[in-house]
Amino acid sequence: MKVHYTINGEKKIFEIKPGEVLLDVLRRNGYSEVKGNCYMGTCGACTVLIDGVPHTSCTILAAKVDNKSITTIKGVGTLQHPHPLQKAFVEKGAVQCGFCTPGAILSAYALLKENPNPTDEEIKKALDGNVCRCTGYVQQVEAVKFSIKLLKEEK
Amino acid sequence: MLKLKNVRQCFMPDSLQEAVDILRDSQGKAAIVGGGLDITVFPRPYIEKLIFLDKLHLNYIKEKNSEIRVGATVTITDMERSLLIKNYLRGRVKEILGEVASQLLRNQITIGGSIARGHPYSDIIPLVYALRGRIVLSDGKDDEELLIDDFYRENFRELLKNKIVTEIRLKKYDDSYRFGMKRFVRNATDIPLLNVALLIKVEKNIIKDASISLGSRPGIAYRFIKGEEFLKGKKITKELAEDFQEFTEENVDVGGDARLSKTYRKHLAGVYSKNILLNLMEV
Repeated sequence: MKVHYTINGEKKIFEIKPGEVLLDVLRRNGYSEVKGNCYMGTCGACTVLIDGVPHTSCTILAAKVDNKSITTIKGVGTLQHPHPLQKAFVEKGAVQCGFCTPGAILSAYALLKENPNPTDEEIKKALDGNVCRCTGYVQQVEAVKFSIKLLKEEK
Repeated sequence: MLKLKNVRQCFMPDSLQEAVDILRDSQGKAAIVGGGLDITVFPRPYIEKLIFLDKLHLNYIKEKNSEIRVGATVTITDMERSLLIKNYLRGRVKEILGEVASQLLRNQITIGGSIARGHPYSDIIPLVYALRGRIVLSDGKDDEELLIDDFYRENFRELLKNKIVTEIRLKKYDDSYRFGMKRFVRNATDIPLLNVALLIKVEKNIIKDASISLGSRPGIAYRFIKGEEFLKGKKITKELAEDFQEFTEENVDVGGDARLSKTYRKHLAGVYSKNILLNLMEV
């Protein structure tokens, strides 16, 4: 069956199997920035935004996302033009192996879109599904707070 | 990793009638997809058809006839953020919803899906039990409304071969009601090893009414009616909370599994029941 997605602003049509999850469709079509790991929704490495809301793409059926908008980490910023969140994660040492980083940044990105001045508790809650086994979480929370400062400076 | 290897077709019906017709004609080989978490994490190999509810306009939370009516495809996040839930039972329901699983999964798990799948470790089922929620089922033409106790008392899986859960109705409670729930989890985002929910009506420090449910016991959640009877008519005090712990440990229907022994689960049930009651004293 065919599905229509808008991925990082570009319209795409993909052929999928009816029982496939979104993660597999994205990676097969070159979106390798979306990481796969647990396939149970427990680690958050595969996080993407669907119509702006963070989801684990390993537990979302690809067919359910038909005609929706998907944002991967490459839709947030690039090497040449990183988003303040990406700069802040580097600056504050919130990245080590990097496997969880796209998911964590996407969760934080969705939070800041909705709530530009979150409390520490709100940041922790927004990132509670993105498991990091290297850096830990203190630096991530610091990075999100630092990005708020960078975003304000950009304005 | 293709987990649902045998799925051949996906359907996005435009009406409940169409959805029920597909379900009925599939003779057990179709699955209703709310958020889709259950079907992807616990794939059932006999499923050949997926029926998505996305076009059925079941994503609403509204107030009607002194009830909060929650459409089946409302996610935990939608419900947690709803203005109708914000101050419901002094904001305790909102707090509990925000503790379930992780933000990513709360964005996917639907209230209707949680009820329809009937998982023993669900946090939503004991919550709805304690709130004496009512489940609305549709056969495509007519609605049937069942108290959650009756929904699970009847063979709900048999019911859902021909019907779809469309709505959950929660009664609005006045200020004399107090609600609390505790989940025993190894870490914040884990599935619970026990959950206890308690709703009481207190007038002049006397418990006039009580509704208690336990889930992850390890069977599907149930109403602890003996515990409700124990509390009714008694003055809410620290001593009562101590007695209630003992009574719960002796009378609660919980079992053991690989994750938690029966003895420990009984003890936890008692301690959690006591602690919730103590917390409710301070409301």
